Amino acid sequence: MRCAECKGKGMCGLSRCPIMSRFHARLDLKPASSYSGSAPSLFIGSHGYPQVRGGPLMINDSDNPPQWLAEGRTIDDIVGIRARTIRGTSGIGRYTDNMQEIAISDRPVGVEVAFERPVTFDLTFDGTVAPVGMSGAMKRLEVTGNAHVHRMVDRVTSDTDMSATEACAALAASDIDVYRITQIFSAGLLGRRRTFVPTRWAITAVDDTVSTRLKKEIARNPPIEEIRLFSGEIFGNRIVCILVPGDWKYEMIEIWGRHTLWGGDQDVIVQDREGIVKHGYSPISGAYYSARLAVCEYLHSLRRCARVILIRSVSNEYWAPLGTWVVREAVRLAMANPAKVCPSLDTAVDEASALLGFDHWMPHSSLIPEMRSQKTLAHF
Amino acid sequence: MLKATIDAEIFREAIDAISALVPECRLHTTDSGFSTRAVDTANVAMVSLELKKEAFESYKATKSQLGIDISKMKNIFNMAGKGDLISLELGDNAQKMQVSVHGYHYSITLLDTNTIRKDPNPPTINLPGKLTIAGEDLNNAIKAAAVISDKIAMGINAKDQTFFMIAEGDTDNIRREFSKDELKSLSANEARSLFSLDYLKDMGKVMSRAQEVEVFLGMDHPVRFSFDIANGNGHVEYLLAPRIEAD
Repeated sequence: MRCAECKGKGMCGLSRCPIMSRFHARLDLKPASSYSGSAPSLFIGSHGYPQVRGGPLMINDSDNPPQWLAEGRTIDDIVGIRARTIRGTSGIGRYTDNMQEIAISDRPVGVEVAFERPVTFDLTFDGTVAPVGMSGAMKRLEVTGNAHVHRMVDRVTSDTDMSATEACAALAASDIDVYRITQIFSAGLLGRRRTFVPTRWAITAVDDTVSTRLKKEIARNPPIEEIRLFSGEIFGNRIVCILVPGDWKYEMIEIWGRHTLWGGDQDVIVQDREGIVKHGYSPISGAYYSARLAVCEYLHSLRRCARVILIRSVSNEYWAPLGTWVVREAVRLAMANPAKVCPSLDTAVDEASALLGFDHWMPHSSLIPEMRSQKTLAHF
Repeated sequence: MLKATIDAEIFREAIDAISALVPECRLHTTDSGFSTRAVDTANVAMVSLELKKEAFESYKATKSQLGIDISKMKNIFNMAGKGDLISLELGDNAQKMQVSVHGYHYSITLLDTNTIRKDPNPPTINLPGKLTIAGEDLNNAIKAAAVISDKIAMGINAKDQTFFMIAEGDTDNIRREFSKDELKSLSANEARSLFSLDYLKDMGKVMSRAQEVEVFLGMDHPVRFSFDIANGNGHVEYLLAPRIEAD
């Protein structure tokens, strides 16, 4: 298992990820023993599952990644916001109703929290979820104000006969963004057998569930007309995406450059692909599903089908792992940029290499050689 | 109009043969039986299937087209036990087919045949190499190759009178040769083509049940597999386009 595949899950067996511990900075903050203000979201940890701990994230600022980007915040700003965020923790059985109310509301609700001990600074990073700065065990949690609930959310969460898969599909179909669905999902408000779901699992579960449904619809659509090339970049995550006319196939190649976060002394390249069915969990982990969602959203809006080659190249500008939302938003950004139409697969591959600045990703692709060599019956 | 009963195992065999390539198909019914022909979305592989009237316990039909969702049909088979009969019933211009098995009565909405791809025309190709092999041997060779690589070369060595399958991975390779004694028949004309194992794996599962599979091969040409189902009362043909590696 390489660092680029594990991303701080602790698969190496060390008690603390050596890469993550670089970020355990100290911040001078007055220890606070209570908090009164808004709680925009809920966080459930995955440690010790199923006996997990969780609670509200408390900050009087935005908690929504697309909004951070719209406001033009830099990677330092975002780490700053998250460093100021307090994560309240308690056993999940204790404040179930309060926590679900926080998760279900589209607007941040107000909370009043008393901590057992003054909160301490403990900035933790993780490849999938956005970092959080402080945490403290809660002695008391009260929600002030009322949750504002979208009609569809209300309907789906009240229906205990609807499977979580159907519920995710219904929510996505009524234009509720995946960030909200993830919240509702992790608060255990969906499905027949309801339970709190660790946030990092909920993120990937929702990305996968929503995009699998889109993928099935896409597969029935006619193919796009020409080869299109997209690119975009957020915080040193360069995305290059080639769409080729044909049936649904998706290949992602992730490159962690030399001396980047998960890279070592040399480039680390991880590849994965799928057709109509995906077997097993991707070695690229959460980013694979987040990127697939953004591509599916694009193809679904066009009502077209395509073969997708998606390359994510990470430079050392991306100094802190912010969560897979970075990949999701970077791909969304790339797909929103105007496409470049390429006359052939070879030119598209050359253009992609030019955009990335190197071409050693090519030998890792298995879809490109397949497309080059596979003949169709029409050929004979 | 359609009114037919058929052994569930036989019908499952036929549906499995189609589902190896496509999720939905246009089924033609005539007074002499069922037939269908479909290509996969990438236009790489084709399946033609024929199920004669004799395969059914009872059969009455007029000429028409049915849009079948294969995965729905497969769900129905889950309810069938060994030796159960499936009955299919469809009125004139009806949109729902009545399917009964093991006491369960399904009413299945058919797909609009306009939404299914038009029936493909089979390409006219001349494949000189021909052999007959046990379906199980063929499937085992495909399974062994799939562990090593994602593509396999199949061909006939005219000099040694053998049928060979070679898969080359990044570091390993595997080779299986069938001598003339291991084959049921072989007309040894030199042939060799490369195929994607993605497709062959699914086809192999279906072919493993056949006693005899006829294989037609050429030089960098498609392969054709031809075999019987339903105790000889049905016939399936697969056609698969090759991969050609340009150097």
